[in-house]
Amino acid sequence: MALARTYSVALIGITGQVVEIEVDIANGLPAMILVGLPDTALREARDRVRAAIVNSGEEWPQRKITIGLSPASLPKRGSWFDLAIAVGVLTAAGKVPRPAVDGVMFFGELGLDGRLRPVRGVLPAVLAAAEEARFGTVMVARQNAAEAALVPDVRVIAVGSLTGAADWLRGTPGLHDGLPVTELEGGQPLPAGRIPSGGSGARGPARHDAARAAGLGAAPTPDLAELLGQSMARRAAEVCAAGGHHLSLLGPPGAGKTMLAERIPTILPRLDTTAALEVTAIHSVAGTLPPRVPLLTEPPFLAPHHTATKAAIVGGGSGIIRPGSASLAHRGVLFLDEAPEFARDVLDALRQPLEAGEVVMARSGVTARFPARFTLILAANPCPCARAAGPAEGCSCSPTTRRRYLGRISGPLLDRVDVKIELEPVGRAELLNDRSFAESSRTVALRVLQARERAAHRLRGTPWRLNAEVPGSELRRTWPPAPGALRVVEKSLERGQISARGVVKVIRVAWTVADLAGRPRPTRDDCDTALGLWLGVRR
Amino acid sequence: MSPASLAAELSERTLARAGLTYLAEPGDPALGALLGIAAPEEILAAIKADMLPGTGPGCGDSPASRAALARALGRWRIRLPKLPSDADIARLCRDGVRVVCPQDPDWPGGLDQLGPARPYALWLRGPGDLHSSSERSVSVVGSRASTGYGAHVAGEIAADLAERGWAVVSGGAYGIDAAAHRGALATQGITIAVLACGVDFPYPAGHAELFADIAAHGLVISEWPPGRHPARMQFLVRNRVIAALSCGTVIVEAGERSGALNTARHAAELGKPLMAVPGPVTSAQSAGCHRIIREWGASCVTRAADIIDLLSPLSATDAQAPARAGSAGAGSAGAGSAGAGSGGGRGPATSPGPGPTAPAWDPALPYDDLDDDSTRVLDALPARGGAGTSTIAVEAGVDLDTVLRCIGVLAGYGFIERGDDGWRLRRPG
Repeated sequence: MALARTYSVALIGITGQVVEIEVDIANGLPAMILVGLPDTALREARDRVRAAIVNSGEEWPQRKITIGLSPASLPKRGSWFDLAIAVGVLTAAGKVPRPAVDGVMFFGELGLDGRLRPVRGVLPAVLAAAEEARFGTVMVARQNAAEAALVPDVRVIAVGSLTGAADWLRGTPGLHDGLPVTELEGGQPLPAGRIPSGGSGARGPARHDAARAAGLGAAPTPDLAELLGQSMARRAAEVCAAGGHHLSLLGPPGAGKTMLAERIPTILPRLDTTAALEVTAIHSVAGTLPPRVPLLTEPPFLAPHHTATKAAIVGGGSGIIRPGSASLAHRGVLFLDEAPEFARDVLDALRQPLEAGEVVMARSGVTARFPARFTLILAANPCPCARAAGPAEGCSCSPTTRRRYLGRISGPLLDRVDVKIELEPVGRAELLNDRSFAESSRTVALRVLQARERAAHRLRGTPWRLNAEVPGSELRRTWPPAPGALRVVEKSLERGQISARGVVKVIRVAWTVADLAGRPRPTRDDCDTALGLWLGVRR
Repeated sequence: MSPASLAAELSERTLARAGLTYLAEPGDPALGALLGIAAPEEILAAIKADMLPGTGPGCGDSPASRAALARALGRWRIRLPKLPSDADIARLCRDGVRVVCPQDPDWPGGLDQLGPARPYALWLRGPGDLHSSSERSVSVVGSRASTGYGAHVAGEIAADLAERGWAVVSGGAYGIDAAAHRGALATQGITIAVLACGVDFPYPAGHAELFADIAAHGLVISEWPPGRHPARMQFLVRNRVIAALSCGTVIVEAGERSGALNTARHAAELGKPLMAVPGPVTSAQSAGCHRIIREWGASCVTRAADIIDLLSPLSATDAQAPARAGSAGAGSAGAGSAGAGSGGGRGPATSPGPGPTAPAWDPALPYDDLDDDSTRVLDALPARGGAGTSTIAVEAGVDLDTVLRCIGVLAGYGFIERGDDGWRLRRPG
């Protein structure tokens, strides 16, 4: 019986499903048949695998080869089944000892010359493999080894070619291709030097990947203290970072909107292990992981351009479903600069992830889910001409034009924004006076971290972790502020300065202010501060 | 906990007053007068002993009043067999019913205006705080046979009031009463149902669920003891409590002979603001409303904001700060400039007071409410133009967190606003 079984993983979103690959070699006209809902890239595996086996100096069985991928009803896409198929063929033909492939998960694309190429989505695939106890070992391309080794309790075999893979399976590693086979134990702390030194060194969005890949610890560090003259905005940033509140920034060009948004990641706490793996898995599927730095431990910062399409923001694609910016910003910041310039349907598409914390995409046969719990930062100019509103600057936009411009951001989206801030160009006096108040990112980040811990402790046993996630009804019922704390807020409500919905947001922000101050419950001071943040926008 | 020990926890006065509600009909002038001169436990003991209670000086020892008192005593003694033991009352209290008496912290001060007709005690069901919710409360009452328009308006007004922190007071009848309660409940506000029967007796039966809801979030109250069935007269007696409990009374829909007009009369007699919601001039269900606007001078209101505007100068804000009652009581006209003038060189004094047409926007009213820091921050703002938060902090000599908090207070009260160049003093008008 010339039947062999190997295993790989199919990815649906960032969820992996183990796929069994059966190779049957039977008598008949030489042919190779691939069954089990493969897509185009996978169908082409027939030709790649054949060429790779022949060019690796192995013998191609000149018989009828049937390859079945099961579960057969699950659509399988991509090129990473190549290695599993090739090894299956070699095993079925008796070239590789059958016991050697037991308990091994194969993941890689083959070149025609037999080289093993790196693929996307290795981390979620290995995570799926690790969930089933029978797979203790994964074989991946050398370039994917570090990423695969992030998963605990998994032995990673990194090989450079099909020859290397076959040698390892035959128990003679490195016999033919002369390249050493690397074995890594998953879940170990990464070797030093792989994580860029200096922590916040490469956190600016522009430098996000490049600097990190180059290990540039000396890149200029953005710091919150540089946002001189905008004390209120700095405070708003701190509150948003601590409570996970979405933020809306309004102001003329040059007031510091982008500068503020870029500095928010510097005050966010580093990702914990679970979150880091989640974020890295998404970036792995998207193929945006910087090489050599497999684990993302810093909150991501995504700033898509305003011409981005819906698929680019929330994810999509007809073949392999790829995550969009919303998911790539998971546990980090999604910054929409010039928010009114974004297409209306793009902005509205964000409502579902903002509500549910994940993007759900249905395609024929599969439904993919990508986590998307991000802090949204919207920035907008007060008018389309983008000139400051002073008399000398000469903005000629009519009030109607301005209203219509900001009206492009739909109400339901703005409803999710808890903090709104208006930034103005700063005068010299304010710059001078603010010098004694500006705090460094490091100081603020410490407060943010403590506030988040406090909130997480309070919200333990609930589905939420941040104040921003708690729905208003729950806030009223379970976590009302101290009695009498809303005195001024109520006065403001009576005067029509703030709506009932605004009050809920003020209470939510007041909780974060209390967390930052280390108080167990919002007092009147906290509610007043929150109200000040809310009223800091001209109407 | 045994009923006996619970009974020990309830004071003798409370138990006596609770007992009296079993014996005398609410609003009985004889008992009301007696309670003014004798302790309730003495009165109860005297009734039990069939002695004429309260024979001290000052209770009008004329033969006629002695005869009236004797008749009353006979009346009360008829119900003696129905008087429960102290342990029974304690058991009721264990089952979620409370008794509130005058001088208790929970007792709503508004009821004291009723004089001798004041309830002897109130039976309560529900978690609400009767004293503080009644200080900011509006009675929303009307016809049982309401139209769709009336029910809609009552619900909207009640929901809006509740959302702004006002409690809604109403009866338990079908129509407007129910719509008002449901509106307030929909926004998780406090609503108070004043019943004309025991708080455990759902009348009308169709409202059993509504009462359960109210008892879960607000208050169901009654002068009648638990278990008492309703009778026609009791509703009219009950109406005086609705009028006295709240800061003002709104009639949403009332026919020419509606019972809601009885509540309106009580409110007018007590000198409480009386308001009515107009309806179609052709609607018989609004005829009563139009009549009290025309003949009794009721204010015409159409939404919650109108009601709050009318009640605000008289409501809790001033009750808490009697020192300011003088300037607020002087009426809206002139109060603004007087308040700003007394500020003596402080911020708003540099700008003229707002016109008399906008009392709700008058920042002078909460001026005394400002803490020292807020006053300092207000003083630090330039007379013209705006200033950034850090500049204000340096000028005022306080730290940034304090400035941010005070900005919330000052903006919330309408002293300052956001301008082109930071925060600036709010211009009147």
